[in-house]
Amino acid sequence: MSCEGMSVLVIDDEEGMREGMRRVLKKKGFTVDTAENGADAIDKMKKSAYDLALVDLKMPGIDGFQVTGFIKEHFGDGTVVVIVSALATVEAAVEVTSRGAFDFLVKPFTPADLLQVVERAVNQRRLIQERETYLTELNSERNLSRQIINSMREGVVVVNLNRRPVLMNPRAEFFLGTRFSEGMSLEEAGFSDQVLEVMERLFSDEKDGGQVVLREKHQDQMLEVQLTPHLRDGARVGVIINMRDVTEEWKAEQDKNRFISMVAHELTSPLAAIINYINIILTGMFDEKPDKIHEMLGRSKVRGEALLDLIKDLQYLNKREAGKVEKSMEPLDLSAVIADQLEFMKGQAERNRITCLLEKNEDDFTVHADRGDLDRIFMNLISNGIKYNVEGGTLTVGLTRNKKDILIRVSDTGIGMSEKEMANLFQEFYRVKNPKTSGISGTGLGLATIKRVLDGYNGRIYVESEPGKGTTFTVRFPGVSSPV
Amino acid sequence: MRSILIVDDDRDLLEGQKIFLEGKGYRVETAASIEDGLKKIETFTPDIILADLMMEHYDSGFVFCKKVRDREHLKDVPIIMQTAASKEIGFTLDAASPEAKKWMKVNEVLTKPVPLHDLLGKIEHYIK
Repeated sequence: MSCEGMSVLVIDDEEGMREGMRRVLKKKGFTVDTAENGADAIDKMKKSAYDLALVDLKMPGIDGFQVTGFIKEHFGDGTVVVIVSALATVEAAVEVTSRGAFDFLVKPFTPADLLQVVERAVNQRRLIQERETYLTELNSERNLSRQIINSMREGVVVVNLNRRPVLMNPRAEFFLGTRFSEGMSLEEAGFSDQVLEVMERLFSDEKDGGQVVLREKHQDQMLEVQLTPHLRDGARVGVIINMRDVTEEWKAEQDKNRFISMVAHELTSPLAAIINYINIILTGMFDEKPDKIHEMLGRSKVRGEALLDLIKDLQYLNKREAGKVEKSMEPLDLSAVIADQLEFMKGQAERNRITCLLEKNEDDFTVHADRGDLDRIFMNLISNGIKYNVEGGTLTVGLTRNKKDILIRVSDTGIGMSEKEMANLFQEFYRVKNPKTSGISGTGLGLATIKRVLDGYNGRIYVESEPGKGTTFTVRFPGVSSPV
Repeated sequence: MRSILIVDDDRDLLEGQKIFLEGKGYRVETAASIEDGLKKIETFTPDIILADLMMEHYDSGFVFCKKVRDREHLKDVPIIMQTAASKEIGFTLDAASPEAKKWMKVNEVLTKPVPLHDLLGKIEHYIK
């Protein structure tokens, strides 16, 4: 038995008794204090706590029963009480233990008797200590769980069999727009009819064991609500509700759905036109009018080619989004890149009788970029400037730079756009549709792609336009700071 | 002579259906936008209307039909809606669903490309 660190208070009005016990216990490693009467003992205990108290029952003034009462009242199980008495009757033993003493030592006793009783008391104290530690840990674990639940970004509500919320974390309060109070009803908690219905089903239908996940709109948020039966030993004792904000995912899904719908539409439209022409030719009703057939075939070819362009653009976008477009970043002279593009588009410009001009000064127009990206941006803008121009018009590409950026203005003298027509210009598949544009082919992806490519360079694109006067696209592209 | 108004922003579809239906003995007027279509019905009362669903906006065709139906003298004119994909506007409106059809107040929703004999059959069904 190790008694190191254990403290004991010996309370006895006989000095010989006190000192005898002190010697025996000290040898065993106890820290021993003594008190010569009840009042003295209470004073000492008020100053420091003891693991063990050996209490003489018969003392003048405050007797052993009263001291035991004091100990139990103030220290509970924190101090184990052993009664020391000459009154060795069963009744007396029952009496003292019913008052909270742990054991009984009968006078006179040998040191061995004393140690035997004390050893049992020490073990008892140890057990109590362990339980206390365990309880403290358990308590702090509960606190931890609670803190974790409270700090979660998910809303958590636990509902018991009486259909009352018994736990609601702050996030759940936020989602539901309520404050938790004990005994509140599910309606007060702010659950929707949809959720209440599912909850009721989970309560009533024992067979339907599963978890239910549903979505619902709360103001501007889309919430995912997951309801799980709360089981204890296989029996349902409640429902656990988890709530998660899925607004971003939901919006992304909607955008994706919209995009897929648009793609389906844009792929089908040209095919529908082509098949329609072919079907008409196949009816034979124009067999006598080869000119008409020729015209229809010509249009079919144009639409087929446009469809192919669209598929190529979609494939490019797809590859780009998947990060599969290989890029080699290098210093490039933007004015040379644009000059090449203008040269490349010369044929198309001449056919449309458009004069192309490149205006620049001696500034340094070096950028750090992928050649393919630059080609895609300016090919699209120059092509638009030619397509949406008027016969005899001009396309001017002007380059200027400030300290940080290079500004590229692509201006045409073409049909222009109204404010309303410009509103969704950079959205996928948006095309300005009016009688003047009806003959112009395009995928509706050009400007949207330019915007995406520029985003990758921290670049920007702006548009100004006036119907009948022309359109100017301005690209702001970060330049490589010129060596001074 | 029976007359048809076709509203579609696809020039080729418009042109193709026009020459086909003219060949079948109908008088055909075309419009490339809602505005155009509404202008046409100011002076022209067709026996049947063929309208595209997705033009400037995904629901242009629906807006057009609503405006047509709002006119007393056109409230009973059969309307056949043509769309390039049965679910072309996906999450917003499934044009082929019975509820949507009822809501859109059109007599028929056909998916492009509409086979010519189907188109002719439907037209004859509604205006015979």
